[in-house]
Amino acid sequence: MLKTRELDKKFGAVHVTRQVSLKLERGERRVILGPNGAGKTTLFNQLVGELTPDSGSVHLAGEDVTSLTVAQRARRGLSRSYQKNTLFDGLTVEENLGLAAAVHTGHATRLWGDSLARPEVREIVQEVAEQVNLMPFIHAKVSEISYGVRRQLEVGVALATRPLVLLMDEPTSGVGPEMSKAFHDLLNNLPRDLTMLIIEHDMDLAFDVADTITVLNYGEVVFDGAPNEARGSSLLREIYLGSWEDA
Amino acid sequence: MFRHTTLRYATLALLLAGALFQALTAGYFGLEILTEILILAMLVLALDIVAGFGGMVSLCHGALMGVGAYAFTILSTSAGIAPPIAMGGAVALSGAIAWIIGAICSRSHGIYFIMATLAFGQMAYSYVFEAPIFGGDDGLSGIRRLDLSLIGLNLNDSRTFALFCLVLLGAVYGAAVLILRSGLGRSFSGVMHNEQRMRALGLTVWRVKADVFGLSGMIAGLAGTLAAQHIMYISPGLLTWTVSGEALVVVILGGLGTLVGPLVGAAAFVVLKHEISGITPYWHLAVGLILIGVVMSRSNGIFGWIEKRWGARLDRRLADATRSQDQKEVTTDA
Ligand SMILES: Nc1ncnc2c1ncn2[C@@H]1O[C@H](COP(=O)(O)OP(=O)(O)OP(=O)(O)O)[C@@H](O)[C@H]1O
Ligand SMILES: [Mg+2]
Repeated sequence: MLKTRELDKKFGAVHVTRQVSLKLERGERRVILGPNGAGKTTLFNQLVGELTPDSGSVHLAGEDVTSLTVAQRARRGLSRSYQKNTLFDGLTVEENLGLAAAVHTGHATRLWGDSLARPEVREIVQEVAEQVNLMPFIHAKVSEISYGVRRQLEVGVALATRPLVLLMDEPTSGVGPEMSKAFHDLLNNLPRDLTMLIIEHDMDLAFDVADTITVLNYGEVVFDGAPNEARGSSLLREIYLGSWEDA
Repeated sequence: MFRHTTLRYATLALLLAGALFQALTAGYFGLEILTEILILAMLVLALDIVAGFGGMVSLCHGALMGVGAYAFTILSTSAGIAPPIAMGGAVALSGAIAWIIGAICSRSHGIYFIMATLAFGQMAYSYVFEAPIFGGDDGLSGIRRLDLSLIGLNLNDSRTFALFCLVLLGAVYGAAVLILRSGLGRSFSGVMHNEQRMRALGLTVWRVKADVFGLSGMIAGLAGTLAAQHIMYISPGLLTWTVSGEALVVVILGGLGTLVGPLVGAAAFVVLKHEISGITPYWHLAVGLILIGVVMSRSNGIFGWIEKRWGARLDRRLADATRSQDQKEVTTDA
């Protein structure tokens, strides 16, 4: 469903992505692990087109999308959430989801009629709000909801474009363990055919959702395999010293 | 995103009542001032759509109005096209030019966007100034107003013309609300709130900006066709950047991104100008002081200040009223 071939990117002298080749099957849930500065977010940016790789290619559903713009890739079913909340501040939860759903349904550029009042848009908003537990806050403004709920909305907005592939950059960063656990349960309840690539810091939580695991270190894939193999890997132990001991 | 509140409806009703009263009772001079306000109001509505709801702070809207005025004049005089069709053509041309400017400038933000639009405005100005068909410094005259004798109206009468402008302004206000509430308008606001995210959701951002800028340009062009018919003479002065600057001052003075505020601003600006210029030639100083006061008060213009003080209170009082009414109904039910 999503594939990269030898992606490579340097920022000056810093080699942030080294010959990264990934492959996600339809419905696969893959977690990317790696220490701070490993190049995880930079990899996401290249997948969605916000950054251009120096070399290599990105393929979505069999099509080479390397030369397509961010918006073109998004319309082909690639959606992402951000490590730092990237929401429509000042608007309500409903409007945040509605803007995304309107793009997906093609109402976002029409001059006739209110996109947020369209039945198709409202239906998606309702469904996504239920999927990521936002119903209690649906009419609240972004400024009125807690940080943890904003993190849920961050993923909700990405989901509201009804993607084929959903990329989530540390969806539970900065929220407590309980809320993270609850959030991972939500992810597990998403449709099985949705392909997911999730950057995660916490190993335990990673194992909650992962079918497969990729570990990045210094921009390089140092592990690619099943979660139980990852548990036994001594290499990971080294990279992840602290948190690994607890696991 | 645009919302009508009780206070906004109330202000609109007051403005409308004031304009109607003035249109029906004022003498020649009062009608001239009213018409000036109505035309300026149309221009600032156009500017508020792009600046207030999309962050596209344009310094070429005066030039777009000038394009409308010149296009209407040339089409209806030397080209001999019927004035209503000439008006339509002028509006379409202003819209098309605005669309192109919007598309080209869509990647710039902040000060760079302002400078880019200023450059386009100045290009239009110098072209009109230099090209022989535009009459250079002397401008063009011999402009005729629309002939509405078929429906029994004579626009050469100041009162009828003022009412005509009022009707068009009302229609433009309605159109502005529809634009802002449409899918296109919602996405446009979304882009102002977070351009990166809108793009990541799959929106072709430049296209949305260009489309709304084009629609706004059509409104500015329509204001231009009215300005030409009002004075019945046009000169390149219409396209100078100070006209755009003044429109921006009015939008900020009134309340950016409120639609109603700029209407208040237009009325306040023209009335102040005429009142104070009667007393002292330094009326710009007074307007400057008021603008500084408004900016220092940290509210969103005159209307923003009013909204901050009374808007919430008014809505709360209404909510209380409906609630107590609901309670009454409940008690009578029981
Ligand atoms: N635009 C940029 N210009 C220069 N260097 C950058 C840029 N973006 C990221 N980097 C560098 O690239 C490296 C990888 O950054 P990246 O954000 O991808 O790491 P990450 O794995 O997401 O880390 P974290 O877990 O902290 O989010 C870092 O050393 C970072 O400083
Ligand atoms: Mg990161």
